[in-house]
Amino acid sequence: MHFDWGYFWSQLLTPSGAFLHGLFLTVLMAVAAQLLGSIFGLGVALCKMAPNRVLRAVAGGYIWIIRGTPLLVQIVFIYTGLAAANILRFNDIALPGGVIFPGSVQAGILALALNEAAYMAEIYRSGILSVDRGQFEAAKALGMPPAMMFRYIIMPQALRIILLPIGNQFNIMLKNTTLVSVIGVSEMLLVTETINSATFRTFELYAMLALYFLLLTSLWHLFMSWAEQRLARSSDRLAAPRKTLAGGKEAAA
Amino acid sequence: MKPPRISDERLIELTGIEKWFGKTKVLDGVDFHVRKGEVVVLIGPSGSGKTTLLRCINHLETVEAGQVKVRDELIGYRMRRGRLVADYERNIAYQRREVGMVFQRFNLFPHMTVLENITIAPLKLRDVPRQKAEEDAMELLRKVGLPDKAHAYPAQLSGGQQQRVAIARALAMQPAALLFDEPTSALDPEMVGEVLAVMRDLAGTGMTMVIVTHEMGFARQVADRVVVMANGQVIEEGEPDRIFSDPQHPKTRALLSAVLH
Repeated sequence: MHFDWGYFWSQLLTPSGAFLHGLFLTVLMAVAAQLLGSIFGLGVALCKMAPNRVLRAVAGGYIWIIRGTPLLVQIVFIYTGLAAANILRFNDIALPGGVIFPGSVQAGILALALNEAAYMAEIYRSGILSVDRGQFEAAKALGMPPAMMFRYIIMPQALRIILLPIGNQFNIMLKNTTLVSVIGVSEMLLVTETINSATFRTFELYAMLALYFLLLTSLWHLFMSWAEQRLARSSDRLAAPRKTLAGGKEAAA
Repeated sequence: MKPPRISDERLIELTGIEKWFGKTKVLDGVDFHVRKGEVVVLIGPSGSGKTTLLRCINHLETVEAGQVKVRDELIGYRMRRGRLVADYERNIAYQRREVGMVFQRFNLFPHMTVLENITIAPLKLRDVPRQKAEEDAMELLRKVGLPDKAHAYPAQLSGGQQQRVAIARALAMQPAALLFDEPTSALDPEMVGEVLAVMRDLAGTGMTMVIVTHEMGFARQVADRVVVMANGQVIEEGEPDRIFSDPQHPKTRALLSAVLH
């Protein structure tokens, strides 16, 4: 076995412009997909708990399909499959300033976001269901319509409960961006493959790639630890009786 | 004889209420009304349906039959093509502002300070300016004896203090009537008195109140009318002195002897 330490260190500490661009795309896609997925997921969660039977069925079907099929297949389906069927074609968009927003990146973000929404929906739902039923009743008794009740009373409490699972989701999201390489997005994995095909320093390059992902997830982990500590401090004064998950069945009412 | 502060206007009127939980009939054709300014106390053995009846007034419970009216307005249902159908949540929310509720377990919002708990509804639902809402809230806190707790969080308060805040929160919407669902049942004995004192003051101001409670001494003192329930039906009602000294129904006698001795 030969490991070229000199090459490894130079690539790790002074990565090429192409690699840095891949890093940028990885972070951009992860953040954008997480944000979009979190917003859409909240909608799916609320539909899943709505009094309306049709909404519940649609949301349930969505979660069923997304969680029952591989993310890799969803990515290819959205980018390649939809285009082949002439349903939806992702064209490059020229942004002001001469920046091109490639169609493959758009499709990648969309696929990751749609996938994330299904998982976020279930997380939101568990958080909302674990808020004490009395909180719903108190808000209703004051005369709050559902939207206001969720915004001011239920979600602030639910978000505290689901902070950790959400942090976990973003960790997974950072790593799942590598799957988008199959539709030709030059994120970190695809850039590394390209460099490898020219240099054949396979071992060094993939070790370096792994370390970059480890760096990203570790930074995120540090941030989450900080957020968790802050939350723990504020929950000292908020330590109110709260039902466990199994208890709050009425939450959707 | 009714005290002069009670008007003849029926603020709350329930007729023929039937309610099922699964295969159990918890309310069995109940007629119930509350006049403006009246303090009505609901008593009865546990499982008799008194809390459920109370929760029907602000539509926290739906009903299978019968009508709930507050100020002559049908609650929770509307007419469509000559038939009654469930109303929209938004309309029901609007109707609930007329009636405040105090819960057995307080249900204060744990992520908000006492002041925020009291001001959130007037701020968001009545568009009261913040300064006015906070002044009103401080006035209410003085009434319930907790002006120094405005910036505390609910978890920092005792049960009795939390319940007094909950009463202030309900009053902040200036409801026409207040519903109390066993407001002292979750309290340590030494805190029951402070909550009952606030309720007694409130009754003295002419507030319309419907109270579900096991505090018979309090009921006798404060109620204008006592309504006794058993097995989902109203079995007896009348002035407190008459109910407590001369109960007619055997179940009322059984209930009172169980609680008073």
